[in-house]
Amino acid sequence: MAVNLTELSLQQLEGLKTQFDQEVEFLTSSIGQLKVVQTKYVEAKDSLNVLNKSNEGKELLVPLTSSMYVPGTLNDVEHVLVDVGTGYYVEKNVEDSKAFFKRKIDFLTKQIEKIQPALQEKHGMKQAVIEVMNVKIQQLQQSQQASQAVGPAKA
Amino acid sequence: MAEALQKKLQSELEKYKQMQKDVSKSMSARQKLEAQLTENNIVKEELDILESANTVYKLIGPVLVKQDLDEAKATVAKRLEYINGEIQRYETLLKDMEKKSEQHREVLSSLQQEYQKAQGRAVGKV
Repeated sequence: MAVNLTELSLQQLEGLKTQFDQEVEFLTSSIGQLKVVQTKYVEAKDSLNVLNKSNEGKELLVPLTSSMYVPGTLNDVEHVLVDVGTGYYVEKNVEDSKAFFKRKIDFLTKQIEKIQPALQEKHGMKQAVIEVMNVKIQQLQQSQQASQAVGPAKA
Repeated sequence: MAEALQKKLQSELEKYKQMQKDVSKSMSARQKLEAQLTENNIVKEELDILESANTVYKLIGPVLVKQDLDEAKATVAKRLEYINGEIQRYETLLKDMEKKSEQHREVLSSLQQEYQKAQGRAVGKV
């Protein structure tokens, strides 16, 4: 590190700590969001396993709203419609869709792995700042107590 | 003398604050563009993998409309081009603003010094 933490004033350290706090929070929430999306893709990929030949023609209930279902039959177990982003949907067969979801899950894993070290680094820096702050506060308190002890004796 | 300076200082400070607001507005607009760029790049990658046998639908309002794969590709390519252009535009805009606020900061600090000097003189006279 280029700056020696012990040379900074308490106020500067406080500022640094808030900054690190914000950065840590931002990175943590980013990872959280990525994980949420990843879970969605994992769920979607798992649901594809239901679409196999043995389930073709079976009856199922289709949710029209969250509280109303209508009966239907599973006609096509080979094709699904996948949202690829920005309003585009692509008809793919089950194998391709699985590959698509795997790609997405891998992509997200990579992104999370990219963020994780940055988060750890920021966290470590924050801890270092807090430590220096504690030392400074203790020094301040000690010097205050010393001057208080001297004060009344003079008066 | 000091009062006039103070007024000027205040109005310059207002202007500077406004400028800073504009800068942060452009910053967030640029960030939004960056997100759109990433999203469209991902879509482009997906479309590039597809074969002509795949059917592509575009969501327009609540309905899915069948669209040609080549057409979809062209649309996304055009969008990418537009977004890249916009990012470039914001980049130059931001650089310009940065330079202007730098100049403004200098004006402000010299005004502040002048004001302090004037105040010191006023106190000295009394």
